[in-house]
Amino acid sequence: MKNIHKQLHITTSTLLAWLLLLTPVSSWSAETGKADQAKAAAPAQPRANPGIEQEKTVPKLESGKWTGSRLADGQPDVQGHWSNTIANHNNFTDPQGGVPGETTARSRSLPPRDQRAPSRVSDTPDGQVPFQPWALEKVKEFQANFNNPVKPEYVEPLARCAPAGVPKSLYWHGYEVAQYPGYIVFFFNSGTRIVHLDNKPHLADNIKLWNGDSRGHWEGNTLVVDVTNQNGKALFGRTGEFISENGHIQERYIFSNDGQRYNYEAIITDSTVYTRPFKTTIPARKWTEKDAPNGWHFETSLAKHAGKQPILEREERICNENNGGFGLGAAETKKSL
Amino acid sequence: MYGLKIALILAAGFMAIAMNVSAAEKIPKLANGKPDFSGIWQTTSAADYDLEPHSNRKDAPPGAGIIEGGTIPYLPKALEQKKKNFAARETDDPRIKGYTLGVPRGIYYPEPFQIFQRARDLNLVFQFGHTVRTIHTNGTEHPDDPNDWWLGDSRGHWEGDTLVVDAKHFNDKTWLDRAGNFHSDALHVVERWKYLDPNTIEYKATLEDANVYSRPWNISVILHRHREKSFQLIEDYRFTLDYDQYYPPKPDKK
Repeated sequence: MKNIHKQLHITTSTLLAWLLLLTPVSSWSAETGKADQAKAAAPAQPRANPGIEQEKTVPKLESGKWTGSRLADGQPDVQGHWSNTIANHNNFTDPQGGVPGETTARSRSLPPRDQRAPSRVSDTPDGQVPFQPWALEKVKEFQANFNNPVKPEYVEPLARCAPAGVPKSLYWHGYEVAQYPGYIVFFFNSGTRIVHLDNKPHLADNIKLWNGDSRGHWEGNTLVVDVTNQNGKALFGRTGEFISENGHIQERYIFSNDGQRYNYEAIITDSTVYTRPFKTTIPARKWTEKDAPNGWHFETSLAKHAGKQPILEREERICNENNGGFGLGAAETKKSL
Repeated sequence: MYGLKIALILAAGFMAIAMNVSAAEKIPKLANGKPDFSGIWQTTSAADYDLEPHSNRKDAPPGAGIIEGGTIPYLPKALEQKKKNFAARETDDPRIKGYTLGVPRGIYYPEPFQIFQRARDLNLVFQFGHTVRTIHTNGTEHPDDPNDWWLGDSRGHWEGDTLVVDAKHFNDKTWLDRAGNFHSDALHVVERWKYLDPNTIEYKATLEDANVYSRPWNISVILHRHREKSFQLIEDYRFTLDYDQYYPPKPDKK
């Protein structure tokens, strides 16, 4: 019998999400503690484990031919473990700029804006989402109330274990990509996304989903995906940016031919919320058995088997059911056995 | 005349053999020659209402049950717990909270699940809750002393064209059906997955749990392939329904 509270990967993330709401100072240092210690020990050296903020820049990747290996069904082989390279969902447009209203020592010592990773909004001069005035007011309201969410709508839904949705799933924890004839499947930390490659029509408009409904195809090194049927509920991060249930996302996953990186470039369109479509860019890298698990981007274990070669596997990802008492040690009722 | 009879019998025999062979050949296979269970599956049985034989009641259609021998061999104390569960089923069934259904319940729950299969593993995505169960088929073993999981730890191997799965390391929080049938964290499930024809799987499982049952017991259901045009899973994260209404932001009402 092993108690579920020992299940660190999953409960820790949700616990941290809640601690962040309740006590931002302690939770922030918990989440980035390793990185901070490393920084203090060797400030001039590149950090061996740079934590969540692995990189500050976005490499250029162009759509073109795929020269890497292919699967039996002809798809470029991009299976494996992936994560974004710059930051988590703390802040959508200033990814390394911290959560709204943060007043920790870390936030006071942030490097200047031009030394932090660029905005994920990559085609507007100011790096901001082109919100309509009413929607911008709602985002500001969310940010102003984030640290003391006096209404349910100010709680970032991922803290409730909701699926992270599109595109936030791509900058939450690391995830696994698996490919099958007719499908590419993303096994995220919070939610699973099935991309259909078989040209079936989208679901009826009135069906609304956390991850939307995805139809994709390959163009050389680029996976092109059309996402409709979103419920708009996931938000883009702790800064509260959002799309509505009328939104449309056109995604391009541009893979490098060495199979080690991809850039996600998506056009997000929603005439209910934005003044014009905008583009978002999210850089990602692959992790393999040559990398050490790091507790956030790459969370795997080595399988037990008779052979010598390392075989990676992931533990089950279940959040909601383990979130009892928000991970703060809920008592379990004893069965009369 | 006699010779013709023999010829006819022989011909009939060859035809029967030929039909069996062609049925076997039609079973989808992976490149490695193992059966390929990829597809979207669902049972038509009433198993999830109650694994045991039962008459109709307000919250369940009648059902003949899917247990070999009829009923679950509960230990006396466990039978008391089962009765309590049954009495409280309208509120205590984890399904009502949208919780992961567990093993084997997810397999015979009346919503579709999709199998994504590679040589190394099968990933089962359940529409209900959109949870993912991985069955490893790469020769790996159960980990030593892992956590207790909602879906346990599943390791499979092939016996001919039958996939045999050994699943253990469960927690004790899932139920087996809506009637409050249950297990402890000592649950051990051995499943046998076998094609009856290219669109039908026979699913059998043996459940063993020394804390709850007096002996191992067996269930069996048939799974049918969804063949409707453009059929797909529709994610059902129903544990979010209590707070769905708060998102996304909407313009203030004037």
